[in-house]
Amino acid sequence: MLNYGSRLMSKAGKKQVEDCKERTGGTELELVDKGISNLLDVPGLLQLSNLVRLTASHNKLHAVPPSIAQLQNLEILNLFNNQIEELPTTLSTLPKLKHLNLGMNRLSSLPRGFGSFPSLEILDLTYNNLTEKSLPGNFFYLESLRALYLGDNDMETLPPQVGQLMKLQILVLRDNDLIALPMEVGNLERLKELHIQGNRLTVLPPELGKLDLSGPKMVFKGDNNPWVAPIADQLQVGVSHLLEYLRSDTYKYLYGRHIQAGAQPPPKTTDKSKKISRKAKGK
Amino acid sequence: MMTEVLPDEADWTETETEIEIEVEDLVPKSHWDLEAILDGRDTGEPKKRKIKKKVKKKVKRKPKPKPPTPPPRQITPSPPPKPKTPPPPPKPKTPEPSPEPIVYVDESLTLNEEDDSGTGMGYDGMGDDDGLGAGDGGDSGADTGDETGFSEVEIQMADESEAAPGTMRSVSQWRGGDWGSIMSNLANAMCTRCRGGFGPYEKMVNSNGELYHEKCFVCAQCFQPFPDGLFYEFEGRKYCEHDFHMLYAPCCGQCGEFVIGRVIKAMNNNWHPDCFTCHTCHAPLADTGFVKNAGRALCRPCNARERASGLGKYICQKCHQMIEDKHLIFKSEPYHPYHFNCHHCGKELTEVARELRGELYCLPCHDKMGIPICGACRRPIETRVVNALGKQWHVEHFVCAKCEKPFLGHRHYERKGLAYCETHYNQLFGDVCYCCNKVITGDVVSALNKSWCVACFACSICDQKLTLKSRFIEVDMRPVCKKCYEKLPTELKKRLKT
Repeated sequence: MLNYGSRLMSKAGKKQVEDCKERTGGTELELVDKGISNLLDVPGLLQLSNLVRLTASHNKLHAVPPSIAQLQNLEILNLFNNQIEELPTTLSTLPKLKHLNLGMNRLSSLPRGFGSFPSLEILDLTYNNLTEKSLPGNFFYLESLRALYLGDNDMETLPPQVGQLMKLQILVLRDNDLIALPMEVGNLERLKELHIQGNRLTVLPPELGKLDLSGPKMVFKGDNNPWVAPIADQLQVGVSHLLEYLRSDTYKYLYGRHIQAGAQPPPKTTDKSKKISRKAKGK
Repeated sequence: MMTEVLPDEADWTETETEIEIEVEDLVPKSHWDLEAILDGRDTGEPKKRKIKKKVKKKVKRKPKPKPPTPPPRQITPSPPPKPKTPPPPPKPKTPEPSPEPIVYVDESLTLNEEDDSGTGMGYDGMGDDDGLGAGDGGDSGADTGDETGFSEVEIQMADESEAAPGTMRSVSQWRGGDWGSIMSNLANAMCTRCRGGFGPYEKMVNSNGELYHEKCFVCAQCFQPFPDGLFYEFEGRKYCEHDFHMLYAPCCGQCGEFVIGRVIKAMNNNWHPDCFTCHTCHAPLADTGFVKNAGRALCRPCNARERASGLGKYICQKCHQMIEDKHLIFKSEPYHPYHFNCHHCGKELTEVARELRGELYCLPCHDKMGIPICGACRRPIETRVVNALGKQWHVEHFVCAKCEKPFLGHRHYERKGLAYCETHYNQLFGDVCYCCNKVITGDVVSALNKSWCVACFACSICDQKLTLKSRFIEVDMRPVCKKCYEKLPTELKKRLKT
């Protein structure tokens, strides 16, 4: 039965690979929802040296083979909704990789040297089990990063090194456990989207006022946080009011007092036990 | 202006010349006092009149070579006259003959030494004033020359009545035929200078009826005989040309040469008429007047130009007046606009007139002629026309609004009425694709506060292409196709909905 199934999978993958060669000259391979548990089961995949995009969403991958580093021309790697718990350190050697989608997996850690991608622009780690401790030391060396999706993880704080991501335009921290944002977020001059809804935030660093997040095509999402009353009020009126308030001396004074007081962060309120990213732990 | 050229020896005809001098403020003392005087400060038209002043006498001489002149001798009675004016700067010893020499006359008669008639020369030296009266004798004494051995007997007379003091005395006339009276007159004759008598074979010089010993007929300054018999008389004294110039003739402030004839007195100096010119354009000023401007003599047009440029204004090239209001540039020269009329409608032009193919047009006519106007420089376009942004442009004036480089036919991108090169349009306004991070050159998919190339717009989960008709769901401000969204865990979908 297992053999049969394995053979079936191989067959399916084989067809996609041939299709890929025929239609796109071996540059784009789609293996979406094919029940694949190991990329090595796909015959000839690693031989697709011209491969630019590999999409393997909605499969059953537990791991990514280190030999994926052979695909030197890979620019887009989409592994959304798999069961990956571990990543090879070789992944970050892919010289042209621009988009890496590891959303909805079971990652609770990232490999050493994960921040050494030479040209990564969009990194999606949504819906994993990452905390600030999961991030390797060089994570914020990703200077080319334009968008960082960390929604639905378990971050309680955000390392201040986030301020090094000078090209960052999109930062999604939706539905984490954040109790504070570092003031370095205010250094992200190019930031156009900041998603911090669904956290435990009560105050924001006044430096956030430096960001122009109220213009057209700007996104600021801050709902579902236990905000102090003035912030909640300003947010109610509009983002531009909030940012103006953050810049005011009044708020700087209040913020200083709040930090000095060292109030206990609000407790976790959301039950994350039903997240599918946890299932492996449950087993 | 008189011109007198001394006849050369072969020419025995008599000549008579009037000296005409144009004068202003005539002071009839001496000939240069009669010259024109132009006062630099007086810009009015100088008054001129002509005065017949001097008489040129013909020179009579014997065709045979003159006997050697006697050595110079000091003559006591008449010391050289003191010049009233300081002597002019030294002049070359042998000045080249002035083109218009004033020749003050002289008539000299020389007895022929070789003549064997021995009876002495019949000479009617009409040394006295009655010489004037002698003019009534119509017959010349030429015929007597044969008998007396005079090579020539000719006396010419002119301008008797007007002879001013100091001018040449006019002339005596031979009374031909009455030889006896001649002889008797000769017996009583005496030298005008030394008052001595003449020996029977002594040569006599007759100058305008005055008789001289040959040795007495010399320059009052250098005591040398007059070269070619030419002398100048001043206050009763006769000078050779050289000394006369040295003593009395003014020097030209321009060329430094003596001024003979018409003298222009201006700017505290003397000038040849041709040497007194405009400081700027060098046009002669003698007959047109001048304006003293900062120590320079300028003609009126040049002066007006100087004044105008000092005021930062233009001089109309037609009327040569200053242009007080706006000027019109036509063929690179400034003019009063009202000197011109529109070539098309004939209306008097204003400063906004336009030049087109060498003609001037008023603005409405110019526009009506269908000449496109460059949207940048507002000047007519007579070469290639670029049509863009609803306007017309010189090729070189249709430029990127950012870098100002001309497109020269390359593609341009428009935004808010301005044109940009591709580089700067994208830099300033370009939509960058969220996916490929490149400026979108084709159609743009705008959604979720982002932009995509049409080809890049895809589900963020399965990378399946999305068309504008496809339904997608927003997750973290990214598109997710319906199929993928349905696969998301329910608890997540719940959270995303709130």
